[in-house]
Amino acid sequence: MIEITEEEISLERMISRARSREAGAVVSFLGTVRDDGIESMEVEAFRDAALAELEAIRAEAVSRFSLKAAEVAHRTGSLPVGESIVAIVCSAAHREEAFSGCRYIIEELKRRAPLWKKEISGEGGRWVEGHGR
Amino acid sequence: MRIKVLAFATFREILGKEREVDLPGSANVKELLEALAATSPRFKEAAFEPSGALRDYVLLMVNRKRIDPEQDLSRILAEGDELAVFPPLAGG
Repeated sequence: MIEITEEEISLERMISRARSREAGAVVSFLGTVRDDGIESMEVEAFRDAALAELEAIRAEAVSRFSLKAAEVAHRTGSLPVGESIVAIVCSAAHREEAFSGCRYIIEELKRRAPLWKKEISGEGGRWVEGHGR
Repeated sequence: MRIKVLAFATFREILGKEREVDLPGSANVKELLEALAATSPRFKEAAFEPSGALRDYVLLMVNRKRIDPEQDLSRILAEGDELAVFPPLAGG
């Protein structure tokens, strides 16, 4: 399942959907708001385009690493320090594929998905410099 | 013809999330960006070099597909097309 949501992410539900009898490994990645002297992070998405890109990335990962399942959830809106920003869960027959799939999805998401973050502190807001083009 | 313009992140703060721009028929992407710059000095400064070239952190999509700002600015737009303007991506 691919999701862009203002709601909290349930890693447990994502893991439970990714489990299967054929999977011997389930790997999860959770990206959270780090305290770099900020109060919160504002996350913005070009929602339809981001969903399409995440779906394409998911399909690539499933095919390249023979994943049994792959789930991606990305938050939008105002997220205080410590909150989840992005969660990825991959299941595969063996751990190597599950780790590789998870790594592939987060790296491609950062490079290709139309999403942006703004750090909010007492002094105002600052857009995080993007590297994805 | 009317073109829908979507703006994100820094460019949303300048242009607003969504607007429609009226252009003469057969206008291209560069002319649309220049029309936006003509209505917003802030957008002009954020998106264009003093030389008039598009800044390299301006990324573009037409109808949800990325276009190359170095090669596709001469692409002719059609009634109902949608242009999205945004800075480099920073998700995750």
